[in-house]
This record gives sequence, C-alpha cells and structure tokens, in this order.
Amino acid sequence: MALLTTRDLTKHFGGLAAVSDVNLDVFDGEILGLIGPNGAGKSTIFNLITGIHKITKGNVTFNGQEITGMKAHTIAQLGIGRAFQASTLFMRLTVFQNVFNACHMNYHEPAWKSFLHTPRVRKEEKEIRRKVMEILEFMGLADAKDRLAQNLPYGHQKILGVSIALATEPKLLLLDEPLCGMHPEETAVVAALINSLRKRGITIVLVEHNVEAVMRLCNRIVVLNQGKKIAEGTPVEVANNQEVIEAYLGSGEEVC
Amino acid sequence: MFNAAGKKTQVITTAILIAVGLLIPFFITSSYQLHLIIMLFINVVLAMSFSMLISTGLITIGAASFWAIGAYTSAILVLNYDLSFWIALPLATLVTGLVALALGAVIVRTPGVAFVVQTMVVNMIVVQALGQIEYLGGWGGILGIPAPDPIGTLRFSSKVTSYYLALFLLLIIVLAFAALYSSRIGRAWSAIRLNPRLAQSLGINLFRYRLIAFVISAMASGVVGSFYAHYFGTIEPGTFSVFKSIYVQIYGILGGLNFFIMGPIVGAFIMTLLPEFLRIGKEIEPILTGAILVLLVIFLPGGILSFPEKLSAMRQPSRKIWQDKVITKKDGS
Repeated sequence: MALLTTRDLTKHFGGLAAVSDVNLDVFDGEILGLIGPNGAGKSTIFNLITGIHKITKGNVTFNGQEITGMKAHTIAQLGIGRAFQASTLFMRLTVFQNVFNACHMNYHEPAWKSFLHTPRVRKEEKEIRRKVMEILEFMGLADAKDRLAQNLPYGHQKILGVSIALATEPKLLLLDEPLCGMHPEETAVVAALINSLRKRGITIVLVEHNVEAVMRLCNRIVVLNQGKKIAEGTPVEVANNQEVIEAYLGSGEEVC
Repeated sequence: MFNAAGKKTQVITTAILIAVGLLIPFFITSSYQLHLIIMLFINVVLAMSFSMLISTGLITIGAASFWAIGAYTSAILVLNYDLSFWIALPLATLVTGLVALALGAVIVRTPGVAFVVQTMVVNMIVVQALGQIEYLGGWGGILGIPAPDPIGTLRFSSKVTSYYLALFLLLIIVLAFAALYSSRIGRAWSAIRLNPRLAQSLGINLFRYRLIAFVISAMASGVVGSFYAHYFGTIEPGTFSVFKSIYVQIYGILGGLNFFIMGPIVGAFIMTLLPEFLRIGKEIEPILTGAILVLLVIFLPGGILSFPEKLSAMRQPSRKIWQDKVITKKDGS
C-alpha cells in the first residue's frame, strides 16, 4: 500500500512551471530516491508535500488521508518529518537543546499545565530528555551533545538535522540532500544511518545528487527533469533508461 | 540553560534581587526616589512584555497600548462602576487580554514588518481614541482615581506600601514569565524565533504560539496599567504614546534581546535612573537615549548582558574554529 501518493502535482511560480503533473507513489518501508539535475523540482516537491508552498494543481494523500492544502504544522503532526537541504538548525543552541526543542509533539500533558510545572509535567519532561539522549546515541551525536550547533563540523550538522526530524517520530521522512558535501567516509556512515532508520520502520524519500550512493541505498528511484517525471523504477532500470542517460547522467553535470 | 550550575546562579540572582527589593524602602526614604523606583518596576514589566514578543520573533512598537487599556479599564471600573481595585485589577487584566486576543487574531497572522507597523498604528489609534472620546476623559485624562482600597489596616495611599504592592506584582509577573520560558511553551517560542521554517516542520503552530505570547504579554502590561492608574491617581493619553513604546523597546535592546527577563530589568534600570542621576532635563533626555542606543548598536549589539560573552569571545578568538573531523560512529547500531 502506498504511504504517500501525489496525483498531477503541479506548482507554478509566476509563469514558471517548477513541477508539472508529477505522480509519485511512496510505499511503506521503502527508500525512494528522487534524482534529477538542478532545477528539476525535487526540493519544490518536498515543499509541496510538507505544505510550505501552496499546491497549484493536483493532490497529495498521506496514509489514506488527503493532505492537500493543509498547514505545514498539521502535516508534520500527521507524521511527515523533514530534514532540510541547507543546515537548517537552531544554530545558537546546543545539540541537545536542538533535539529537545524539536520534541514539541511528544508532550501529552496540555500546554497550559506545563506552565505550572506539575509533577506529571516534570516526569514527562524527564522522559522526553531520555528520548532525546536515545536519538543522539542512535545518531552518534551523544558525545557532542553540549556543543553549539553552529560549532559542529558540517557532516555533524547534517546528522543533527536528521536527528531533529527524528524527534517528531515521523512515519515518512523526507531527506533533502543528506550526503551533499560529504567525503566518501562520511557518506558511508550517513548511508548506513539512513539504512538503519528504514530498519526502524521509517519510510524515506531521498533527494540526492550523489548518484552512486542513491543507486546503492534506494529500493526505487524516480527521475525528474524540468519539473516532469521522466523515469521510475529500480536502480538498474533507471540506470539503463535512455532518456535518463540523456537528460541527466549523460549531461555529465554533478553539481551539489 | 539545562545544567545545574546555571540553575544555581539563577536562584542566587533571584534571591539577591528579591532581598534588595524588600530592603530598598529602608534605605531610600525620599518619596521622589521611591516614586522613580515604582516607575522603574512598571517599565521593567512593559519591557518584559516587549521581550516576550521578541522571544517569538515579533517586534512591537505598541507596548504602551495595552498598558493604556489596562489603566483606563481599571480606572473606569472603579470610578463609574464602584468596583474595588482588587476586583478591577483582574478584570482590567482580563479585558486587556481579550482585546489582545481579538487584535492579535488579525495582526499576528502577518509577522515581520507588517506586524511592527500595525502595532504602532494600533498604539496611535488607542491614544487618539482615548483623547477624542469624552467618556474616556478626553485629552485631559481621568483625574482623581482612588488609591487601591485598604486591606485591613494596610493602606495603599503611602509611597512605601505602594512600593511593596508594585514589587509584589513585579515578582509575580517575573515568576510567571520564568515558568513560561522554561516550559514547552517557551521552547516552542524559542524554536519559532530561531528558525520559523524548521519550527513549522516540527509541528509547531506558529500563529497559535505567537498569539499566546501576544495575549500573555498584553495581560502583563494590563496588570501594571491598572496598578499605575491607581498609584498615580491621574492618567492622560499622552503618557501612553508611541514614544513610550519606543522607550520600552530601548529598555529591552539595552539590556540584551537574548535575555528575556534580566535584559528588561537591566535596561529599564539604566534608562529610568541614569537621567535622574545625571540630573538632565527632560528636554535633552532623548539626546542621551539616542546616543546610548547608537553606541550600543555599534559596540555591543547583543546588549549589556552580552558583554561577558563578548569578552570571552575576544579573549579566545580561535574558540569557535573547530577542526573538521571525520564522523565516526560506534559499531553495532
């Protein structure tokens, strides 16, 4: 069963069609790669799914529920998590505080009670702190927990971005270029992390320029060019698709 | 923020400030100086409500408008409806909150410059309305507002008792604000301020949390508005002008915008008392204010409280440069 489907997804910026008539199906438990040259509309699709941009035409269904036109925070609450392309973090906070701040949806006690700091609220906070440490340990950031996000090396910042998204306990995780700017050793570590997230039962959609890593990591790949879907299939199928080779792989561009 | 040492210094600072606050009337007996300190407390609360909006990424130039609404509501309730101050105070606070809720539902939707301008315009409208509407006293204001009714033998007509009432209200508001900042509401605010886009993707309803801050900060201003009306006995529209709002903003900026409670205290303290100590006339006070602000923006944009941070950063210029190291991960996960 498809966890996320888009039908005729279209976005116009003024006269420019950034995304046109894209049909996507993301199946439960898979890693779907979304590749294509710069400007192909990959990030825009993420922005449409997560409700940051308004959809011009078409619809998005998540978990059997139509989410077209919903507010970004409602969509996040339904279980779509996102790690951003640029290092979008709370730069002035520590690693721990970054993930702690991200746990907004984990509270069950009502917000007005939290102001009174009742014993139950404190207990809940303690549990959430424990959960934050669990995430940090899982992601290999536990040792850096007291460092400021802005002082982290680039690779760690990207991992922190994923940790923040994990704190929302997503069913579907959208990763925007998680391997961008990393050297091979880091790439291997992060790829392994992404794989272990899938094993935890999180479905993942991945936008990535590192074609080699995408080929190894993803179950299926969707190729976009100029806002249109031009191919879809297993890595092998896509790699042998003539149109893909012409439009993307053949161009020789691999700019991050 | 989360370590035990930080909490300990916080507790100690709070205890010292409370002790100083309680002892002040024993050392300062001049009623004019006590009056200044009472006005300082009011300024602190106004600046704290300005900072609460800053903590959600909103800038207001309308802090004085809710102060005015609190003051006028309370004065009218006591004078025209014969209510006791002790009932008028919570009622005025509630009314201020409701006005903020209705207004905020419209203007909080457009954060950024639109919000700044709208708060300023609202402030101008409030002042105009107070001046034009005869029922509200007109430009002459409302005179002869009675002091808070005595509780038992405790009378609030003297400066000293008024001082303690002001201190009590200030402490309650400081404690409530501190409790809010350290709760999940405060964490949601900080997420919104530091990165609204990320906050949204974490399921935080930006509009709702900003509206909560807008209403709560307005209610705090309403409390001190009600107190001010009955303490001073006279209120007139000019007191609540946009200039006051700009001063409130300066208190917050001077202390430091990253310090939501201590910043307003330090900023209001300096801005309220410095002109008095230097014995400058009201006419040239804005020149001093302007000079302070310009110097601050150039040399210490983080405010006075950011000075230690800046000092340690200057001492260790290489502190922030980390060796970019390869990510390694423990096996077995």
